Amino acid sequence: MSTPVKSGSVTRVKGIYAHLDCMLTGIEKLKAEGLTGFQVLSPLPRHEILEAVYEGRPSPVRWWTLTGGVTGITIGFLLTSLTAIQWPMINPGGKPNVPLPPYAVIMFECTILLGALFTGMGMMVHTGLPGFWLDKALQDPRVSDDKFGIVFLRASEKDVERIQSILRASGAIEVTSGDDTVYEVPNA
Amino acid sequence: MQGTIDANRPDSYAAANRDIIRVLLRPSVGWLALFLMSTAAMIYGGWCWYQQLTWGMGVANVTHPNMWGIYIVTFVFWVGIGHAGTLISAILFLVRSRWRTGVYRASEAMTIFAVMTALLFPVLHLGRAWQVYWFFPYPNQRYLWMNFKSPLMWDVFAISTYFTVSAVFFYVGLVPDIAIVRDHSKGLLRKLYGLLALGWRGTGQQWHHYMGAYGFFAALAAPLVLSVHSVVSWDFAMAITAGWHSTIFPPYFVAGAIYSGCAMVITLLLPMTYAFKWHDYVNMWHFEQLAKMCLLTSGILTYAYGMEYFIGWYSQNPFEWAIFSWRATGEYAWAFWIMVFCNCIAPLAWYPRSWRTNPWILFGVSILVNIGMWFERFNIVVSSLAHNFDPATWWYYMPSPIEWGVMLGSFGWFGFWFLLFLQVLPAVAIAEIKEMIAAPVKGSLEAA
Repeated sequence: MSTPVKSGSVTRVKGIYAHLDCMLTGIEKLKAEGLTGFQVLSPLPRHEILEAVYEGRPSPVRWWTLTGGVTGITIGFLLTSLTAIQWPMINPGGKPNVPLPPYAVIMFECTILLGALFTGMGMMVHTGLPGFWLDKALQDPRVSDDKFGIVFLRASEKDVERIQSILRASGAIEVTSGDDTVYEVPNA
Repeated sequence: MQGTIDANRPDSYAAANRDIIRVLLRPSVGWLALFLMSTAAMIYGGWCWYQQLTWGMGVANVTHPNMWGIYIVTFVFWVGIGHAGTLISAILFLVRSRWRTGVYRASEAMTIFAVMTALLFPVLHLGRAWQVYWFFPYPNQRYLWMNFKSPLMWDVFAISTYFTVSAVFFYVGLVPDIAIVRDHSKGLLRKLYGLLALGWRGTGQQWHHYMGAYGFFAALAAPLVLSVHSVVSWDFAMAITAGWHSTIFPPYFVAGAIYSGCAMVITLLLPMTYAFKWHDYVNMWHFEQLAKMCLLTSGILTYAYGMEYFIGWYSQNPFEWAIFSWRATGEYAWAFWIMVFCNCIAPLAWYPRSWRTNPWILFGVSILVNIGMWFERFNIVVSSLAHNFDPATWWYYMPSPIEWGVMLGSFGWFGFWFLLFLQVLPAVAIAEIKEMIAAPVKGSLEAA
């Protein structure tokens, strides 16, 4: 979650693009100039954008999934076996009190259940959802339609002009800074 | 403050937004008629259940030896219907099948509502519905836990896990699309959709982790497609009842579930596509793929039906052979032959391409498949119990009016939720549809 801009030393800069290739050019030029720390906005998950920004780094959500899965299989085993041991009378057909094949079904279901729930939690944590408190510069309804965007939430004052010129040169249809970066929702 | 949806934003990707959300909160006369019928059926089913709660299980014709009746028949039917959604959304996502995009959202919704409907039946069948919490493990003063060796307990875990994972997967997929609806709404609706969208803004960070998580959801949901109906089949196959005790049951049930689920997707989505004029997003190509899926699974089912008879004869087990020959020639032969006609013969009409791309034939045969798959479960559940090992217990079970009413109510309950979904949430995945549309480029990049 980003921090709202208050001081005069840093400010927001935002470029809105109508074309995907223009935004990709802008991202590459910013990176080449050493200007990082920006957020991108996109109406859909384009792999070119994610590749340009994250350079193939996988999402850490996978560790949440693994943790959930391991927790699930453990809980599944403990739930079935400890409860059977606590009341050891049900023993049909002379089978062992803690048999693996029937309990494997419960262990499997718990693995999937907790794996999915942990994945959901991991996604919420890393995407910053619920994102009701996101900086308003990131809240641009035009992105829901067909526009793309690059947003610096805390650009240094000395970099602002350089960022703006790169955004314009790469084909941004609108470049704003300071409080102007907040797009007023027309029909709200 | 009354809200409205403004669906008149211009531009290219915006056309997909406009086309899909323009139908929201604009009920047509046809929709209203169907919604009222579903609601009436649901209320009638609720009244029948009230009668059963008041007067006891005697108002249903389930009694020894036919203790399961059409409550469990319809339970298995709805669980089966619930299979296609996750198959289409998860497995076809993992194999990058392009035809899933147009149909997966509505199929997922169908899955959620079908499993919600299925979950009613164990409660209805319980009689003392207020003791439903006995299904679940909870610490109690007698240290009395449920028997995890029982397939009925596996079923509780399998179906509740399937429902939870499918619901989470469904909602996660919806979040970016709800954000689109939010941005096209105003007033109170904007606030409501805003809450549901969880503040989604389409930032790179959100898409990056969202896509990472989505792949894992799909990978976790995929084995559930195969496991849930396998577990349901073990409710039968783990018993020694003739006609049930068979190792062929898990693949046979899974194929049947996919078959009935895909047929139900055709039944629901074909009228929806025509009513909403969504031919740019869901068209005959999608329905043809679904029909092919049905043809494949129909072939597997026909093979399984034949193999049951072959094994009954080849094993020289007199009980097995007795039940299978009785199914085809005894008092329930009418149900057996309805099943054979609807599941094995009727879908043959889909072999010629010109027939399977004809909307009337598609729709008509899909209805027959739905009927046939209900009768398949009737055939399995009712005939085996009615003609068990002891001839003294043989009995001709037919459902009572209360049971028929509850079953009708289940269709009303399902229709109520599905029709509500069509009016409230985008029934086609907008963000994924955009992936199929050429990206707006100025020239230095190839179009998608």
